[in-house]
Amino acid sequence: MFKKLRKVKELPLIIVLVVISIFIAIVNPSFLTVENFLDLLKSNLVLAMMALGMLLILLTGGIDVSAASVITAVNVILGQTLMHVTQNILFAIVVACAAGIIMGLINGLLISMLKIPPIVATLGTMSMILGIVLYTTNGNWITGIPQNFIDFGRIVILPRTLADGRVIGIPIQVVFLIPIIVLTWFVLRHTVIGRGIYAMGGNIESAERMGFKTKRIIIFVYSLEGFIIGLSAVAHTSIMRQVDPNAFLGFEMQVIAAVVLGGASTLGGYGSVLGTLIGVSIFSVINNGMILMRIPTFWQKIAVGLIIISSISVDMIQKQKEEKMKVCVDVEGEELYAV
Amino acid sequence: MATPLIEIDHISKFFPGVKALQDVSFSIETGEIHALIGENGAGKSTLIKILSGIYQPEPGGIIRMEGEQLSHLDPLTSLHHGIVVIYQDFSLFPNLSVLENITLGRFVKRGRKLVDYKEMRKVASKSLEQLGVEIDLDTSLGDLSVARQQLVAIARALANNAKLLILDEPTSSLSSSEVDKLFEIMRSLKSRGISLLFISHKLDELFAISDRFSILRDGRYIGTYGENELDDDQLIALMVGRQINYTIYPKRYLDDPLLEVQHLTKKGNYKDINFTLHKGEILGITGLVGAGRTEVVKSIFGLNSSDEGSILFEGKEITIKNPTDAMTSGIAFIPENRLSEGLVLRKSMRENLALTILESLSNSFGLIDQSEREKIVKEWVARLEIRPDNPDLLAAKLSGGNQQRVVIAKWLATEPKILIVDEPTNGIDVGAKAEIHKLLRSLAETGLGVIVVSSELPEILSICDRVVVMRRGRVTADLHCEGLNQEDIMSKAI
Repeated sequence: MFKKLRKVKELPLIIVLVVISIFIAIVNPSFLTVENFLDLLKSNLVLAMMALGMLLILLTGGIDVSAASVITAVNVILGQTLMHVTQNILFAIVVACAAGIIMGLINGLLISMLKIPPIVATLGTMSMILGIVLYTTNGNWITGIPQNFIDFGRIVILPRTLADGRVIGIPIQVVFLIPIIVLTWFVLRHTVIGRGIYAMGGNIESAERMGFKTKRIIIFVYSLEGFIIGLSAVAHTSIMRQVDPNAFLGFEMQVIAAVVLGGASTLGGYGSVLGTLIGVSIFSVINNGMILMRIPTFWQKIAVGLIIISSISVDMIQKQKEEKMKVCVDVEGEELYAV
Repeated sequence: MATPLIEIDHISKFFPGVKALQDVSFSIETGEIHALIGENGAGKSTLIKILSGIYQPEPGGIIRMEGEQLSHLDPLTSLHHGIVVIYQDFSLFPNLSVLENITLGRFVKRGRKLVDYKEMRKVASKSLEQLGVEIDLDTSLGDLSVARQQLVAIARALANNAKLLILDEPTSSLSSSEVDKLFEIMRSLKSRGISLLFISHKLDELFAISDRFSILRDGRYIGTYGENELDDDQLIALMVGRQINYTIYPKRYLDDPLLEVQHLTKKGNYKDINFTLHKGEILGITGLVGAGRTEVVKSIFGLNSSDEGSILFEGKEITIKNPTDAMTSGIAFIPENRLSEGLVLRKSMRENLALTILESLSNSFGLIDQSEREKIVKEWVARLEIRPDNPDLLAAKLSGGNQQRVVIAKWLATEPKILIVDEPTNGIDVGAKAEIHKLLRSLAETGLGVIVVSSELPEILSICDRVVVMRRGRVTADLHCEGLNQEDIMSKAI
């Protein structure tokens, strides 16, 4: 199924999203309210940003399971910076991004220079980062984020006052999401290195033969993902107003699941920004629907696992089929493309 | 006379133990279709890799382009000079559009940072127009047929301003009408002043399209001939005739069938294969690379299940679904790349030797009988004269010939009735080759049936009693080796 979706690009994904939404709306009409929509946006914005970062990685044929630990670490660094160094929000954002980039760079260097398989390299950095986070925080929440940052996080764009006096509007955090969408789209679509990301995901040998510096591309994508995670941490902390070192446990799986739901292949080369955003939407709508329908949350985890495994299975089965179809010998008197 | 496009001047390339190219010199004119011909291992691929900058020639060899010396060719500078190789796998990107497959390389080559889709479209449509083909630029490449993918690869070469287009067996996955279309395109490229270096094993195609032929044999340049200067037989005679002095063993006539292969067929591999191996016989299977030889023997050993046909062992039909079935029936197989597939290099000679017989050595608790293993290992080390005769030695430390002996011993320890060896002497020196020949021959004399898959005709003529020749997935000849010469075999293989 996923392969087909991939071929006709994103349209079928949109249909899936609409059908699920209609289904949930019928069961629970409160799904279709503006309020619920804004809640959905706010609570899945970080997932969307991280998914775009992960898309870059998956496109090269890599994977980053350290993403959740990186955002946790950046959250801690951000919280400490705001509390003990400066209350300047802009400065804090720069620190967060730099921290993300450094951690991404380490992943990128391990993978490109030492040729450690991405899953192994990022599992290693994940464990190390989590260890350091635990050491510095003792697993305790960081509270006492300065008021100016909390106020910043509460800003809404186009505010509307509801009948009961509450004010709703588009959360300020979209100012992080939208540039990231534009940035990843621009990089992937309009830069030579972006097309190189696709090229090396499709056929790494040919990409090198063509002159792409694949090592540089790997370092670039992991650093860019680190930058995106840095911004995601700012968005997250401004929403939550405190830092919970355990908030992102297992979150990397949700991120990966959302990206593959959006049509990306774990073998590299396939996936798009639009598809990923739709994948995130489907993922969050299903989650939201489960909550609205009072389905226990452990089903979520099961669903995430199923999505990842079934998507990878489809990729692998497809690959095996292609290998079987490969003609080894040009047999005389045999129609070549009868199959 | 005009300066030729490419002059290959005294080019040699040596690898450890192998002289892949020795003092090759010839030139390719502007706007000609030049065929490069030779047996497997004659040095064609090495020459292509030198032209495309993957290999560096030995000092003293020079490549000139339009009179100017090209020094230190690497893959990118070679591309810069307009030397484009279209490999059999095309090196394309299945996940990208036709548009990008054609033009992306230009952007990389020029060090551009941004992609200009308008410019891409212009360039891509121009190259497709030059080829006279219409392909939707926005289609994903993976959705195209192989023939159309090949056209995209050629269009990409044009977008890279190719001056010399090297086509490595371009017709091997095309239907006959697609071949005609390709030839038409090759001729139109030629009329635009582009030179083509064309590699193929199909004589009719070579004669249909080429202006001149250059022939390599054993890494040496034999000559360049115009299209009217040669006929099929002369061409074959020039290709073969490697002068290697192996012992010619007496050719025997044996008639006790051991293995009979009947109508064996597998789609995309081989069709209607029939042959018989007799007790004590050495049967050669030869043909060009890609003729389906290895595919057939892998099927006999259960590594490549066939679609149709039957295999008879001592007159009884047997079913072989996997290597275990084959080994139970008494068939042993030594694959082509003995180093990567036949030995565990980081284990001792002892462990390697006993690998195939672990089950028969183990008792009911699954533990290995050490003293029995020691006995068998000693026996085989002595019988095959493996040197040094220390079973503790790591397999990696042995010489090539002795490694081959360990692999053979390992399989002989299973007490097979049939031994299949694929290219048994590939990459080892002449002395070691002769010893392997002697060994195989003495094994056959004990009643073992041996199948030797080999591209090296002198080897086949040295040790085999009979030879089966394959071409494009079919058996074209089943000959007794008495009085046979290399031309007889090659004329059936090509």
